[in-house]
Order: sequence, then structure tokens, then C-alpha cells
Amino acid sequence: MIGSLSALGAGLAFGLGAIGPAIGIGMIGGKTIESMARQPEMAGRLQTTMFIALALAEAIALLGFVLAFVLMNVGAK
Amino acid sequence: MSGLGEKVNELLFELGSHKIPGLPLTNYMFFLLIAFVLTLVFFLVASRRLSMVPKGIGNVAEMGLEFIRDNVVVDVMGPEGKGFLPFIGTIFFFILFNNLIGLIPGFKPGTGTMGTTVTWALVVFIVYNAIGIRKHGAWGYLKSFYPPGVVWPLAVFVMILELISHFIRPLTLSVRLFANMFAGHVILGIFSIFTVLLFQAPGVAKVMGLLPIAMQIVMYAFELFVAFIQAYVFAILTAVYIGGALHAGEH
Repeated sequence: MIGSLSALGAGLAFGLGAIGPAIGIGMIGGKTIESMARQPEMAGRLQTTMFIALALAEAIALLGFVLAFVLMNVGAK
Repeated sequence: MSGLGEKVNELLFELGSHKIPGLPLTNYMFFLLIAFVLTLVFFLVASRRLSMVPKGIGNVAEMGLEFIRDNVVVDVMGPEGKGFLPFIGTIFFFILFNNLIGLIPGFKPGTGTMGTTVTWALVVFIVYNAIGIRKHGAWGYLKSFYPPGVVWPLAVFVMILELISHFIRPLTLSVRLFANMFAGHVILGIFSIFTVLLFQAPGVAKVMGLLPIAMQIVMYAFELFVAFIQAYVFAILTAVYIGGALHAGEH
């Protein structure tokens, strides 16, 4: 019972945790393209800033991923 | 599709860090050493014959370093950050070589375990705080967390938030790199398991085994991209943190 529930919890932890960052990364990418189209000469610096923002958004999704593994091991014991 | 659970457990065990019998190393430490030797040899060979017009491997090394200098160090920290190029360049290339050897079948990335990435994140944490303290003095650096021109209860609250976000940095820095490399290998492994199980299946289901192979090729290309991006992101965040410590109190 605990095993199957923890598997479910692990799936939910990653799935729900990925929603927010996914929206965030989409917005970051879209806005960067928008700004690059408007000011192509700024493309280099925009890209640098984009990767920083991308990394910060992505970290939240990956915390969910790590949590999912922790939850799975709880079930295995 | 019987035996999926066992195979997944086997994969996860294989990707975990465990001791190599007969050696005082874990499997990830072994691949870290390989990446270390590879980075060393790469730069020794690249700098063997220095000339104005570099050729071959020296050209690749120079291109990589120039990319780090222009797109990471100068872009983020400005020209005064050029002194940190050796530190950030080392981080970038070591992580890159680690990530890349992990893509050779049978190899693992040295960055695919939490121990490695936490160590590097802590090194970065100590370095950028030391830089901030050396530049502004211990009291001045601490004071830079206190926002000026705000009523004090709010300012104290903001300061606490700033301090928390500061101490969370090594955590996110390490988890990002580790989880990206680990997740990539789990995905590649899972699709190999699908391939094997479908080819063992009776009848027409065998043909379905081609689908995970196609998916694996796509994911492999994506992992190649991720290997570069994660090294780049780690380097650029290091640059951002050092730049923030240098310009503490100016924001």
C-alpha cells in the first residue's frame, strides 16, 4: 500500500512541480524572441540573460524531480 | 512488457554511486578522474605550441575560452571581471568534459552524482562570498544585504529574504546540474529498456521496438545539447554570483 502510494506521490510531485516552470520557461523563451525581433543588435546580451532566467526557472522543476526519487525510495523501504 | 519494474530498479542501482570492487573509488569518482585527465591533456596539447594563428586542437581551445571570456565573463561582470576568467573557464571546461564523457555508452558523467555537484557549488559559494568580503570588508558586505531608503521593519524582512536566497544558491546550483545529468541518463536507460523488452515480445510487437530507438536518437541529440547548456549555465551563474558580490550594495 505504502509502496504504490509513494509511486503515485512521486509521479504527482514531479508532474505538478513541472507545470509552473514549464509555463515560466515558455514565457521566458517567447519574450526573448519578441525582444530579439524588436532589437536584433541586443540578441547576444538578451540570450545571456535568458539563460540565467531559464536556469532559475528550471531549478524548481528539478527540485520536484529529486523529490520524486526521494519519495520512491520511501516506498521501497 | 513483463520485467519492467526489475529492469528499472536495476538501472537506478547502476546509476547510483557504488564502490568499484578492488579500488578505493566509487564508479563516479573513477569517471571524474577520467574527465580530469582528459581536461588536463586537452589543454596541455592545446597550449604546447602557442602561435598567433592557432591550428587544430589549439584552435578549439581558444574558441572555447574566447566564448567564455566574451559571452560569460565580460557580458556579466564587465571588463573588470576578466581576472576571474581562469576560475570560470576551469569550471566550464571541467563540467563540459564530465558531461560529454557521460554520453559515451557505458560511461557515466562525473557530474551525475550529488557529491560532485555539491562540492563544486560549495566551492563557488565560498569563493564569491570571499570575493565580496575582500572587496567590501566583512561588515560592508553584510550591510549590502540591507536595502537603503526603506522603513526598517520592511528592510529587515527583505534582508532575511536576501540571506535565505543566498544560502539556497549552492543547493539550486548543485541540484540543477546533478538532476539534469541524472535525468538524461535515466531517460536514455528507460528507452533502452523499452527497446529490449519490445524486441523480446512475441509477434508483431517486435516492430514497435523501432519506436524507442528513434526516440533514443532524438534524446541523445538533446542530451548533447544539455551537456553544453548545463556547463554554460553553471559558469554563467558563477559569474553572476561573483559579479553580484563585486557590486554589492550598488543595486
